[in-house]
Amino acid sequence: MTLHDGKIGNAYQVQSIDIDMSIKRRLEAIGLIEHTKVVILNEKRNGSMIIRVRGTRWAIGRAIAKGITVKEAA
Amino acid sequence: MKERPKHITVAFMGNPNCGKTTLFNAYTGANLKVANWPGVTVERKEGYTNYKSTKLTLVDLPGVYSLTSYTIEERVSRKEVLESNVDVIINVVDASSLERNLYLTMQLLELGKPVIVALNMMDIVEERGMEIDLHRLPEVLGDIPVVPVSARKRTGLDVLMHAVVHHYQEVPDEKVVTYSDEIENKIEQLIDRLKKEYGDDHQILRWHAIKLLENDETVVKDHPILIEDIVDRSYENEIINQKYEYIEEVVDECLFNRDEKVAFTERIDKWLTHPFWGLPIFLGIIALVFFFTFTVGDFLKGYFEVCLELFSGTVTSFLEAANVSDWMISLIVDGIIAGVGGILTFLPNIFILFLALALLEDSGYMARVAYVMDGVMGKVGLSGKAFLPMILGFGCTVPAVMATRALEKEADRRRTILLTPFMSCSARLPIYVLFADMFFDSYAMIVSYSLYIIGVVMAILIALIVSKITKARDTGILMIELPEYKTPNPRTIRIYVWEKVKDYLTKAGTIIFLASIVLWFVLNFNGSGMVTDVSESFGAAFGHWMEPILSTAGLGMWQIGLALLCGISAKEVVVSSFSVLFSINNINSTAGMATLSGILGASGFTSLNAYALMIFCLLYTPCIATIATIKRETHSWRWTLGMVIFQLVLAWIMATLVFQIGSLL
Repeated sequence: MTLHDGKIGNAYQVQSIDIDMSIKRRLEAIGLIEHTKVVILNEKRNGSMIIRVRGTRWAIGRAIAKGITVKEAA
Repeated sequence: MKERPKHITVAFMGNPNCGKTTLFNAYTGANLKVANWPGVTVERKEGYTNYKSTKLTLVDLPGVYSLTSYTIEERVSRKEVLESNVDVIINVVDASSLERNLYLTMQLLELGKPVIVALNMMDIVEERGMEIDLHRLPEVLGDIPVVPVSARKRTGLDVLMHAVVHHYQEVPDEKVVTYSDEIENKIEQLIDRLKKEYGDDHQILRWHAIKLLENDETVVKDHPILIEDIVDRSYENEIINQKYEYIEEVVDECLFNRDEKVAFTERIDKWLTHPFWGLPIFLGIIALVFFFTFTVGDFLKGYFEVCLELFSGTVTSFLEAANVSDWMISLIVDGIIAGVGGILTFLPNIFILFLALALLEDSGYMARVAYVMDGVMGKVGLSGKAFLPMILGFGCTVPAVMATRALEKEADRRRTILLTPFMSCSARLPIYVLFADMFFDSYAMIVSYSLYIIGVVMAILIALIVSKITKARDTGILMIELPEYKTPNPRTIRIYVWEKVKDYLTKAGTIIFLASIVLWFVLNFNGSGMVTDVSESFGAAFGHWMEPILSTAGLGMWQIGLALLCGISAKEVVVSSFSVLFSINNINSTAGMATLSGILGASGFTSLNAYALMIFCLLYTPCIATIATIKRETHSWRWTLGMVIFQLVLAWIMATLVFQIGSLL
């Protein structure tokens, strides 16, 4: 599943990031890499969502959410 | 005791919104804009301070999350540190999100420059019940000084400068992060090769080796040496991962009681970023901002008018008593006091508008707007982030155009620059207030609102058309940090509002002052000298020339043409010009308005003409300062002139449409 399929309030762990290199690098810079824990805080109908990564909140667009493959965090 | 150095250059580096500029202001006494959203600072700024006998040059830089070379800010910051004469880096770290902030720290430590960590927002850390081990933290960061500060409360400032003066030559242990054997092995081989090629004195060998391993474009280009046998692929991923692994260890060891009280921000966000209510709430907030601007501003305005009338009367009788010639009295009273003074009476409205914007920006809500508007902006092919410059545009178009630097793609930037002038800036406010009050009585506020809304709707329509033509699509790559909500800081608000008020007063004292004098001259002279009848003046001749063009929009009076032309110097000048043109001393007062509406009404100028005038002012070229900024930011005269012509034509078409359709009704 991708982050896009995730549910509000749930925690996920990043398995892989398959997205345009320039965006991937920006995600890396904020510490969103493989194995990082991500919590979905809110989501809009257009697919943008608010996530919590390493203690800070981020708004990310639909395409980014779709590019992040995750699994449910234990 | 070591002898103190005479001069040190210090660069502030850190993540966006970690408090670099607040700290910079605290030291230098500068009043650079500060607010609670990422990306406020877009330019490098220098300032000076002293610590005991040492002079310090401080450099404020835009925030970055990493030191790669993929974004403009990153390249600017990296260049600053590597190529300029920066002696020491103050790495401003937001202690309340230590984990993410330390990633940049790790990269700075590898640069081989002295680094001092300013652990900012310690007050928030304490409020939240977290604890940071201040003895252990420097140890795991290669024994660099770590100084807790609060830039907002201005605590720890001397200790930080003390650390700078005493440790400015101490290069940190560049091997804070030790990578896996495979990578360390390759780093060693690369260092050998770099040494062979560039000599031992090549400064930061390890950093260059790491960058070569990461396949960093700039470093690879600048060091054309054969390394393919060592670097068979990019090791960027492993290097990043291992840095973060180390950071996780650091955080485990130094940070206690995490995740205690972030709930507050998330509870507010549940509503403010609600999938359905988020947008109506945002629109409500903006409506409230302008409600206060109109009502509270108008309430305060009365006092200003009384003062102005007194002043004007006193000056006139003084000048008459002093036997000053009539033309001089006319220039001072009808030209300068009428023009400049008339503009000053709008100060309360301007003050309230900027106060409201300051509160909005410093609370932390701005970044949420990007998220809330992401859907709407997506429909016109832009990300929600493009809406932030547009909000700033309600204040002033110049900083709004500059704020588009935060957008990642150049094409998106230009499209956003195209839209920002349609957001009614504070300079257009006096025009709306004056003409709405004069011609629409009790509907004045609704009329003013309608202009703001038409501006936004026009911007969105144009964006839509442009996106259809260029086939630009929103790629769904919004990415913006949502900071924690904070009670707006009184000092920040004071600086923000005062700077804007000062700008307004400066404008009144310079551009509007000059424009009023120039206008007075063109109205009182023609080729053969001073005229008694303005209709024979230069100004009238020029205004007449524009009459046929503007008459389709119901603006076919030479005075209006002239006022609009003068308005390109600054939009407030439209109002000051009306004062000078019709010799009205206190245009914003009841009497002043009655005089003006009487004169205009006598030549058939009705509320419909007034609305067409307001539409024209909303849409046409904002001002010279905006044109200059657009040129500077787009680096293109063609684009800039194209925009000016587009705005003029659009303003004419829309004003004509309003007038012609309105006349039929």
